[in-house]
Amino acid sequence: MIRIDRLEVRRNGRIICRVPRLDVEPGERLGIVGANGSGKSTLLIILAGLEQATRGRCEVSAPVEQRVYVHQQPYLFRGTVLSNATYGLRSRAMPRGQANQTAMRWLTRLGIREQAHRRVDNLSGGERRRVALARALAIRPMILLLDEPLADLDEQGSETVSSILNALDDVTVLIASPTDLPHGLTTRTYTITQAISAED
Amino acid sequence: MELVWSGFVEALRIVASLEPSVMDAAWRSLWVSSLAVAAATVVGLPVGTVLARRHFHGHGLAVAVARAGMAVPTVFLGIVGYAMFSRRGPLGALDLLYTPWPIVAGEVLLAVPIIVSISHGSVQALDPRVAQTARTLGAGLLRRWRTYISEARVGIMIAVLTAFARCVTELGIAVMVGGNIKGQTRTLATAIALETGKGEFERGLAMGLILLTISLGVTLVITLMAREVSSHP
Repeated sequence: MIRIDRLEVRRNGRIICRVPRLDVEPGERLGIVGANGSGKSTLLIILAGLEQATRGRCEVSAPVEQRVYVHQQPYLFRGTVLSNATYGLRSRAMPRGQANQTAMRWLTRLGIREQAHRRVDNLSGGERRRVALARALAIRPMILLLDEPLADLDEQGSETVSSILNALDDVTVLIASPTDLPHGLTTRTYTITQAISAED
Repeated sequence: MELVWSGFVEALRIVASLEPSVMDAAWRSLWVSSLAVAAATVVGLPVGTVLARRHFHGHGLAVAVARAGMAVPTVFLGIVGYAMFSRRGPLGALDLLYTPWPIVAGEVLLAVPIIVSISHGSVQALDPRVAQTARTLGAGLLRRWRTYISEARVGIMIAVLTAFARCVTELGIAVMVGGNIKGQTRTLATAIALETGKGEFERGLAMGLILLTISLGVTLVITLMAREVSSHP
């Protein structure tokens, strides 16, 4: 599903991400663990097709529209929880009624159904994260790239998200985290080391 | 202070009596400027957004030209308009000089750089996650554009309001290509200049207050519209 070979990302002459070798199989749930600034987010952004690597090979056998990246601090668009949750579906030209139904199913699974018609401005950090997850999951992408998805969540929220991710058999999930992820959430862990800063 | 007070009283009297010549000028100011700003928004908003999101050869120059365009004196646009619409000009055959239409055209030229520059700045200043989130969720070009507009709504609203304020109060274009003809091309701004020139300060001030009321009313309407539209990205 994903094949990386000597990938390197530089910004302003500085290496901000380096992955010598990484293969990910379809349906795998891979944890990417590393210290702050090690390039975890950059790797996910590259895999999402939102930016390009400077060097190396990065092959992803899924079209860009089938890869969804959820930020460490997710951005919610102005509007309601439901309008955000349906954003990806509406972008795929799904009729409004069907998009609302699908989004509501995910909001229910993530425990925020009651908030569906609330404006996003007043949500807590944990609620915002759940909305962003519902918005990403509603699309049913082939590859889900999650940047610290359990941050801001309470224990119950973490368990809910973990069980949903565990049930995604047909989705390849990559989860970035600065610390070890809860047991059972991932099937394998890749440790990303601090990229060595270097000038050309 | 007495002059301001008497101007205020005169404004109330004019509004209460619905004085036809003033109401006519007020209505013309409103529709000419609204039409010009609407047309400038249709042209300027896509240009401003593209300049904010795309970098191409000559991009910096295009941004600089748009910004410089905000400082163009209205009287210069008036002269250009006169040259275009006078009998010997390229648009002379249309026989539109000294009608409201060249005023609309001139005000479009006045408003476009304002809309382009401020919308460019507003969209460019958006959080980078806006574009990344829209793209990763599969939004196409048009939906992404609508999302940028929605997220940058405050700046875009300010762009529209600034353009309207500049158009509704401008004098140079209205005088040069409109001719300040009573009942045909007279706007509140040209009427104020005329009344003040005649020494009718109270009437000039009264019309100024009516102009201010129109501006406040339009500001309120645009603010409410922006809130309504941006609820549905």
